[in-house]
Amino acid sequence: MTVPAELRAEIEAHMANYPDSRSAALPALAAAQRVHGWCSPEAIDQVACVMRVTPAYLESVASFYDMLENSPVGRHSMYVCTNISCSLCGADALLEAVQDATKDDPDEFNVRAFECLGACDIAPMVSVDGVYVGPLAVADVPRLLDDVRAGRPVLPEKQLARRRVADPEAGT
Amino acid sequence: MPRPEQRTITFTIDGLEVQAPENSMLVDAAKHGDVEIPVFCYEPKLGNPVGACRMCLVEIEGIPKLQTGCSTPVKDGMVVHTQSDRVKIAQQSIVEFLLINHPLDCPVCDKGGECPLQDITFGWGSGVSRFIEPKRHFVKPLELSPTIAIDRERCILCYRCVRFSQEIAEDYQLVLLERGAHSYVATFDGHPYEAPFSGNIVELCPVGALTSRAYRFRARPWDVEDAGSVCTLCPSQCNVSLTVRDERVMRVLARDNPEVDDGWLCDRGRFAYPRLGGQERVTEPLIRDGGELRPVSWERALEEAATGLGRAGKSTGALAGGQATGEEGLLLARLMREGLGSPHLDSRVAGALPLELHRALGDPSLQAKVSDLEFAHAVLVLDTEPIEDAPILDLRLRKGVRRHGMKLLRASSHQLLGEESARELARELTAAGEEIVVLWGERLTAGPDGERAARALLDLAATLSLAETKGAGLLEIPAHANGRGLREAGVLPNSGPGFEVVGEDGLDAPGIAAGLIDGELSALYLLGVDPLAGSDWDSARWERALERASTVVAHAAFLTEGVRTHATVVFPAQAYPEKEGTVVHPDGRIQRLRQAVAHPGATRAEWWILADLARRVGIDLEVLNGAVASRLLFEAVPFYAGLTLEEIGGKGVRLEDRRATVAHS
Amino acid sequence: MKLLFKDIDEPGLCTLEVYERRGGYDSLRKALGEMSPEEVLHELEASALRGRGGAGFQMGKKVSFLPKGSMDKYLVCNADESEPGTFKDRELMQKTPHMLIEGIVIASYAAGTTRSFIYIRGEYALPADVLDAALAEAREAGYIGEDILGSGHSLSLVVHRGAGAYICGEETGLLDSLEGKRGNPRLKPPFPANQGLYQGPTLINNVETLSTVPAIVRIGGAEYAKLGVETSTGTKLVSISGNVRRPGNYEIELGIPSREIIYGLAGGPPEGREIKCWFPGGSSAPVLTPEDLDVPYDFDSLGKAGSMLGSGAIIVVDDSTPIVDLAMKVAKFYRHESCGKCTPCREGTNWTVKMLERIDSGEATPMDLDIMASVQEHIIGNCLCVLGDAMAMPIGSMIAKFRPEFEAHIEAARGRNGLGASTPIASDAALAAQGALESELPPRGELAAHGAGDQAPGEHRGAAGTHRGGA
Repeated sequence: MTVPAELRAEIEAHMANYPDSRSAALPALAAAQRVHGWCSPEAIDQVACVMRVTPAYLESVASFYDMLENSPVGRHSMYVCTNISCSLCGADALLEAVQDATKDDPDEFNVRAFECLGACDIAPMVSVDGVYVGPLAVADVPRLLDDVRAGRPVLPEKQLARRRVADPEAGT
Repeated sequence: MPRPEQRTITFTIDGLEVQAPENSMLVDAAKHGDVEIPVFCYEPKLGNPVGACRMCLVEIEGIPKLQTGCSTPVKDGMVVHTQSDRVKIAQQSIVEFLLINHPLDCPVCDKGGECPLQDITFGWGSGVSRFIEPKRHFVKPLELSPTIAIDRERCILCYRCVRFSQEIAEDYQLVLLERGAHSYVATFDGHPYEAPFSGNIVELCPVGALTSRAYRFRARPWDVEDAGSVCTLCPSQCNVSLTVRDERVMRVLARDNPEVDDGWLCDRGRFAYPRLGGQERVTEPLIRDGGELRPVSWERALEEAATGLGRAGKSTGALAGGQATGEEGLLLARLMREGLGSPHLDSRVAGALPLELHRALGDPSLQAKVSDLEFAHAVLVLDTEPIEDAPILDLRLRKGVRRHGMKLLRASSHQLLGEESARELARELTAAGEEIVVLWGERLTAGPDGERAARALLDLAATLSLAETKGAGLLEIPAHANGRGLREAGVLPNSGPGFEVVGEDGLDAPGIAAGLIDGELSALYLLGVDPLAGSDWDSARWERALERASTVVAHAAFLTEGVRTHATVVFPAQAYPEKEGTVVHPDGRIQRLRQAVAHPGATRAEWWILADLARRVGIDLEVLNGAVASRLLFEAVPFYAGLTLEEIGGKGVRLEDRRATVAHS
Repeated sequence: MKLLFKDIDEPGLCTLEVYERRGGYDSLRKALGEMSPEEVLHELEASALRGRGGAGFQMGKKVSFLPKGSMDKYLVCNADESEPGTFKDRELMQKTPHMLIEGIVIASYAAGTTRSFIYIRGEYALPADVLDAALAEAREAGYIGEDILGSGHSLSLVVHRGAGAYICGEETGLLDSLEGKRGNPRLKPPFPANQGLYQGPTLINNVETLSTVPAIVRIGGAEYAKLGVETSTGTKLVSISGNVRRPGNYEIELGIPSREIIYGLAGGPPEGREIKCWFPGGSSAPVLTPEDLDVPYDFDSLGKAGSMLGSGAIIVVDDSTPIVDLAMKVAKFYRHESCGKCTPCREGTNWTVKMLERIDSGEATPMDLDIMASVQEHIIGNCLCVLGDAMAMPIGSMIAKFRPEFEAHIEAARGRNGLGASTPIASDAALAAQGALESELPPRGELAAHGAGDQAPGEHRGAAGTHRGGA
C-alpha cells in the first residue's frame, strides 16, 4: 500500500496529538477525503495502513458521520441548512433553487440538505466549503454559484464572519 | 492475577427473597429466584454489557427510571420488580419496536422454533402490533462469507455479532455501517467475513439474520435431536452439541464449558461435519489386491490383518493419533505388547523422551489449566502456534490480554536453549508477576535437541517456581488431539498405562521409521494416523519406511496419501460423532465422547476391531462394548482409578483437581 | 450586565493582544498565581453556575466529582453545539476564543486535569481555525503547556474537529467519538467523572460554561451568584431564531420574562403574524404556547411550565406554519441523528416519521394520533441516552397542545386524497381548526417537504452489496 507522503505525514501528526492514536480517526479520514474527494475504499485503505487499524473499522466510523462522504461527490460542498429555523425562513425553497441550479454540474457541486448548522441567526443559510453565508434569498443563488465557480470568496457581504452580535448592548 | 471473589447477598425480586452472588448482573441474579428477565444484546461472553436492546428493563425501588437488568449489579437489599405494569408496558413496547422492521417470515426462517425473538415476543410481547407502515428492505439473503448468509431485514441490531468480531476474535472485520434506523451489519467494502472463528456469530444471533449456509433449510428444530460430545479435531477438545437428524449430523454448536472452550467453537470444528459424514468416507474394509484397494468382508480384512501382523510379530511398529481415544490406545498397546510381543509403539510425533522426563513434565503440581491462561500475569507461548494447533486457546489468550492485562510472550526453543536468552525470558516473565503459564508445543521436544529442550523447560519452570505457584504451570499442546490421553494409556515405547515401566523399551516414532527402512521391522499399524499427511512428520523418511513395510494396517476414515498408496488393510474408522470413549484434554481434563449418530456403511468401532485382532493373534482383551473398554482403561491407568463414565459426565473431570480432592478427603 | 459579551465585537478580540488589553488572562493569573485549586473550586461552587450545554448541572459540583489522585485526568470542552436553534458557542469561539482557553486552563487547575480537548463540530470550520490560531498564541505566551506561569500546573490542549453527528453533543457519545469511534453514547454508570475519556476521570463542560469561568474568578463566585435568580444564577447567552425580526445571540440575566426576550430583544414575529408556539431551549424542549410567554426565563420556571431551558435556544414559530410540518421537521431530524444503538430511539424515531408521513399523505385517522402519542410515551425514559426523549418530548407536547389542528390536518389530507372524513362527526374543535386551516393558511407548507438525510430506509447503499458503484 502506498500512501501519499503528505497524507501520511498529516495522519501521523494527528496521531501524535492523542494518548491513544486511534483518536485520530476522524481528522485522518477528513484528511484522506480532502485528497481523494470522498472516503473511497482506497482512501480508507490508506488511512488504515497508517493508523494500523482495519479498513472495516474506519468504514464503520466514516459512515457514521455526515461530513464524511461514502460515495463520490462534487468538488464543492454546499450544505443547505433545512432544520427548523432555516425552514421557517424559507430554506426549503432555497435548497430547491440551489439543487436546480447545480443539477447539471454534479462534479462541481455537492449539494446537501443539512441538519442545523448552528447559524439560525442568518437563516436561511448555506455552508459553502465550510464558509457560512446568509440570509440568502432564492435570488442570491446565481451569484453564489458564480462566486464558487470563479473561486472567489462567496457573497462576502453575507458571510457570517462579518456579522456583529445581535445583542445591541454587546460591548465593542 | 486475582480471580473474582464471590460474596452472596440477598435481594428481593417480584416479592421473593433471593440469594445471589453480589454484583452479578440482575438478569443473572434473577435466575437464582427462577425469574427470567428477557434479553437480546446481553451476552456475558462478549464482555461488558452494552444496554442497547433495552429488553431487560426492570423497576428498582428507589430509582425513578427503569433500569437495564443486564448492566445493573445486584446489591444487598435491592428490591426489584419485573412484573409491574410499568415494566410490562416497557417490555411490550420494546418487543413492538423490535418487530417494526422484522419481517415475521418465521415459517421460512431457519431460526423459527429456536428463536429468542420469537420466544420473547410470545412471552413478553403484547401479541399485537400497531405498526402498519412499510418495513425496511434489503436484498437478501447475501453471502457474508462462504459459510454464513446474512439477512439484514431480520436483523434487530443487537450488536452481538460485531462485538464478537471486535472484542472476542479481535479481527475487527464485522462492523455496523451507517447509523440510526439505517444501520446495518457489514464488512469493509463488501469483502467476505473470513476469520477462524466466524461461525460463532451464527450462534450468537438472536434472530435468523445470520445463518449457516450449510444448515439453511436442512432441518427445523422439531425435526432434530441434540447430542453432546467433544470435538476431537484438535487438542482443544471443545465441547460440542451435535444437531442430528435421521442419523446425520446437520450442525455443530458450541456446548459452553468455561474450563475448556469458554463457549466458543472454531470454524474448523463447526463446519467440518459435512465432510465427516460425506461421500469420501471409507465405510467398508479394504485390502490391497493387485496394487489396488478393494472392498472385502470384515472376516477377510481381519484375517488378512491378523495374518500379516502375526507373521511380523514383534517386528511390528504402531502409531496412534488422530481422533483415537484412550480406550483405543490401551487396546492397541495390549495388542502390541501382549499379542504381538512388540514394544514398538508411539503416540508422539516428536519421538520418545526418557520416561523420567515424561513424568516430570506431567507432574500434577506443574499442570496449568485453560482458565489459568486468562488470569495469569504472563503467558509464554513456546514452539506452538495456538491459532493453528489449538485455535480456541487463541481466543483465551486474547481474553487474558484484553480483559486482565495478561502479558503475552512468544518464544522458540532456541531462546530456551541459550543460557542468556533463557535468563532474559525468565526475567521478562517474572517482571509481569508470579502467576506464569508456559503454553508449549510438543514439537519443542522434537529432533536432536528435544531432550535438552525438555530439560530446559523444566529448568525454566523451576526458576519461575511454577509448581509452587497457584495459577501457574505448564500446558502442553500435543501434536494429536488426544496426545495426552494416548500417552497416559501407555501408547509410548518406554512406558505402559500411567507412565509405569513395562519391560524393555521399544522404538519411538522416528525409530519405527528407521526400523522399517532398515528391515528391523516389517509391519506397521496405523491407528488414526497417516505419517504422510500432516506437516509434523518427516514425510520423505516415512515414504521410504512405508514402501519397505510388508504389512500396513490402517484405521482410516479417509484415504489420505499414505493409506491410499501403502496400506495393505484398511479398516473404516469412526469419526468422532460416531465414537464412544474418553479423551484427555491437554490440561488433564478427561472428557467423554458419546455416540451421536450410527456408523456409516459397514464401519465398526475401533475397540471391536482391536479386540477381534487380539483374539486372532491369541489373546482375549475381554472387551464386550465401549463402556467395558472405558472400565478397562480406568483400571489400567493408576491415576484414573475409580473413575466412571458417570463421573466424567458432560463437562469432564480434570484429573489434577480430582487428585487434589482425593488427597484432601 | 454583560460578562461574555462585554467586549465581544471589539475588533481583533480573537487575538491575544487585544484580549489581554481588555484584561484577558488576568483571571488565569489570579487563579493560578494567587489561589489554590480548592479556592478556585470554591468560587465555582459559590457561583452556582449551572451548565450551559443543556442538562443544567452545577459546574462546581461536576468538578468536585472528579477523584483526587495522580491518574491521568481529562477535561473535555463540548463544542459540538448541534441542538437546533443553538449558535451561541459559535459566537464565543469565533470572536473570543481566548476567553474559552482561559476558562479551560482555570477549570483544569481546579479539577487537576492535565490534558484537555475541545471537541468542536466539524461544520464549524471558521471557529475551529480561530481556536487553533488562538491556541498557538496561548501556547507561545505560556498559558498552555508545562508549568503554566510557574504555577506547577501543566495542561495540553487539542482542538478536535468532529465530522457531523448531533449525537456527539451527548457527552458519552462525544467521548467515543473523541476516541476515534462511532459516536455511540455509553451506558451510564460509569459516569465520565469516574471513567470517561480513555477510561480516565473526565470533566466535560460546554463552551459557554467554561467561558464564564474567567468572569467568575474575576468578580468572585458570590458576586456572580447575585446575578440572575436563586436557582439560575448569572447571565446566559440566548440564541433566538425562527419567526422573529431580530434573530441572534443576546446575553440576558436569567429570570427575565420570556416575553422580554422574544418581543423586547428579538422584536417578536413578523408584521401581521402571531406566535403559534415556541421552543424555549432548542428543538428537544417541549413547545410552549403564547400563554407561556410570561414564564421567567430560567431553569426551574421553564421546568415548571412543562419544558426546559436546555441550551438556551429559543425558536419561535408563527401561525403560518402547520403544526404537522413542524412535527415532521423535528421527527426527521431526530431520526436522522439517532445513533441506532438502542431500540426505542432507533425504531421510535423512525416510526414517528412514518406516521407523520401517513398523516400528511391523507392515509391516517385520528386514532393514529393516539398511537403516535403512545409511541412517544414508550420512548421517554426507556432509551440509552436522551436523544429519544429529545424527540418524544416535543412531539408529545405538540400532539397534546395542538391535537385539534392535527385532526383537522388529517381530515383535510384525507379529503385531498379522496378518502373522505375518517369519522362521520368530527369534533367541533377539529371542524373549527379545519375551517381555519383552509381559509387562512397558505397552500400546503413546504416546511416538511425536505429534510436532511431524508432517504427511505433500504434505498441506501449497501442494500445490494454493491454500493461502491463509483469506486
